[in-house]
Amino acid sequence: MKCAFCQKDIPEEVPEKSCGQCVGGCRKVHCPYCGYANPLPSGWLERMFGRNDDNQTDGNNE
Amino acid sequence: MSDKEQTITAIDGKPRTILLVGNPNVGKSVLFNALTGAYTTVSNYPGTSVEVSRGDCEIHGVRYQVLDTPGMYSLLPITEEERVGREILLRERPDVVLHVIDARNIERMLPMTLQLIEAGLPTILVVNILDEAERRGMFFDIPLLEEKLGIPVVGAAVRRRRGLKEIRAAIVGFDTTLRASFGYASDLERDVQRLTALMTADYTIDARSLALLLMQKDEELLALVKDKEEDNFPAIEAALREITFERRVDLNLRISLERKRVCKGLLEGIVRQEERKGRPLAEHLSDLTMNPWTGIPLLLLILYFGLYQFVGGFGAGTVVDFLEGGLFEEILNPWVIDFCQRVIPWYWLKELLVGEYGIFTLGIRYAIAIVLPIVGTFFVAFSLIEDSGYFPRLAMLVDRVFKLIGLNGRAVIPIVLGFGCDTMATIVTRTLETARERVIATLLLALAIPCSAQLGVILGLLSAVPGALLVWTGCLIGIFLFIGLLSAQLMPGERPMFYMEIPPLRMPQPRNVLVKTLTRMQWYFLEIFPLFIIASVLLWAGKLTGALNWLVNALEPVMRLLGLPSETAAAFIFGFFRRDFGAAGLYDLQTSGLLSPVQLTVAAVTLTLFVPCVAQFLVMQRERGWKVSTGILVSVTTLAFAVGWALNRLLLATGMLQ
Repeated sequence: MKCAFCQKDIPEEVPEKSCGQCVGGCRKVHCPYCGYANPLPSGWLERMFGRNDDNQTDGNNE
Repeated sequence: MSDKEQTITAIDGKPRTILLVGNPNVGKSVLFNALTGAYTTVSNYPGTSVEVSRGDCEIHGVRYQVLDTPGMYSLLPITEEERVGREILLRERPDVVLHVIDARNIERMLPMTLQLIEAGLPTILVVNILDEAERRGMFFDIPLLEEKLGIPVVGAAVRRRRGLKEIRAAIVGFDTTLRASFGYASDLERDVQRLTALMTADYTIDARSLALLLMQKDEELLALVKDKEEDNFPAIEAALREITFERRVDLNLRISLERKRVCKGLLEGIVRQEERKGRPLAEHLSDLTMNPWTGIPLLLLILYFGLYQFVGGFGAGTVVDFLEGGLFEEILNPWVIDFCQRVIPWYWLKELLVGEYGIFTLGIRYAIAIVLPIVGTFFVAFSLIEDSGYFPRLAMLVDRVFKLIGLNGRAVIPIVLGFGCDTMATIVTRTLETARERVIATLLLALAIPCSAQLGVILGLLSAVPGALLVWTGCLIGIFLFIGLLSAQLMPGERPMFYMEIPPLRMPQPRNVLVKTLTRMQWYFLEIFPLFIIASVLLWAGKLTGALNWLVNALEPVMRLLGLPSETAAAFIFGFFRRDFGAAGLYDLQTSGLLSPVQLTVAAVTLTLFVPCVAQFLVMQRERGWKVSTGILVSVTTLAFAVGWALNRLLLATGMLQ
């Protein structure tokens, strides 16, 4: 996924350090480049709306 | 086949290596597939979980093994992918490094080309996605860029197979003796030379590049140097320490800025923007958002339509009226209360479910009818602004003001996130560079940044009273700046520089906005719902035991000092559980007609400045320690009531809002 702040690619496996305050687990991914907390869509939302295709926009992606 | 090519194949006996490097999404894999065809393997790079693609190809009779490295933004790694990418660069001893960049973002990507050249790697620059760039009216003088960089440069659109022939020719004809050098500012050059002169071991990258990475605090390379230099290492370490101490600036940032400056010079005369097509509207708008003269009015417009009209007017007004006033008050509440009265014989259970602080009549009603529509509309506005790429521009816009209060543009991230949830934003303050910035940002979050639901309720309530919202906004901004300035004076320290690459401004994608909004609402609802129920139960227990009454009575003199009715104490007690719970309590008081315009404004200002909620306090304690967090709690509480008292006196004395 792309960071919503700096728009850099966040690797799939980011070592997540959640604050542990949220009931039901952490639903955020902190960008390793700028620290912005990005919302992490749940499985049902991704199934319903499809995966984020931000990085497919230019058609030159990997 | 030429003589030179025959010699190459004959001498090596094994395939030569081509590495593809570059940012994610610049077309590396398309180029990899175009070079290697169908026969490729994908496997984890040894000792890591990062996948690397390998394939073979033959160019003009010369055999090559091609490796597609993970996307990386710089030679200074931050993520595991970048670390593996750099390890491949250092370990594979490539014969050719193809650095693939996106022509449309050449200014952002060229600094890494400089790093590769500095590292002494045999680099060929592929300026890809030229077709899209040309469609936008951007044209490149590739031969001039090649001359300035001193390495082969190929313009390409590999998706359309444009430039592939030239890339192959550049690979085969690569002259390994090519060696360009770029000069930085004299002080940096002096530091680099000092370090390179001390290094005596043999490295796979150039000593100059190594020195720069060490100055950028590359721990991994420092360990490598320690290992290789052995007895010589203490002298290098001491020199590095002295350089860092003498500079007293963030060297990483300084070097990045210097590299940016060199790139800007290199690109002069290289990119020509077609005049007749003009600059895209997004670029004009982007400039306007960062210029203080136009950026501040634009920010006010965003706040007016995004927050005031949409969240305050529509969310806290129309939707809450419908859900709270219509659905709950007229339909659900009477039915549930009547049902409980008929079937439940015990007073305490009736009170627990449908009493003054009942789970249904308070907890569920607050969560569903008041808070959820407000945070829902707030998250729609927030996701729209976020997806447009406005926030990095806001960071640039406020950088100058934030520097006055001991912060810089980077602090926009926790501050902006604080409008969503201050607890989570307090954690994000750890991304700020210095301890001083982290303390100031934590204090300002606890004091003057209302969370989404609190903000929405207050906007909804105050917009109905002419002038009240203006007084509230003025107080909050004034306190934010005053306390920020005071903190910066009381905690002197360095002002770290701020610089960030500004990503393009774009039209928000409906899918992204919808998914982000629903994700945030889901997270928020899961978090608040149980807490609202727990808070209702605690208040119910407090009412039955008399503890709540005692607390309300204890706070009564304070409420009197603020000119508020004693019932307002309950909203403050709610506010300590959660800020949004307190705001919802204020909503109830206002709809019951208990507050005059002055009282409403004073209560809203005091409640916004009032202590952080329990969760935020716990996170503050964990992030900043007991001493700092208790200090913040005491000072915020004192200040909140002091401002409330002063505001009440001022409004009464001047006759404003009466």
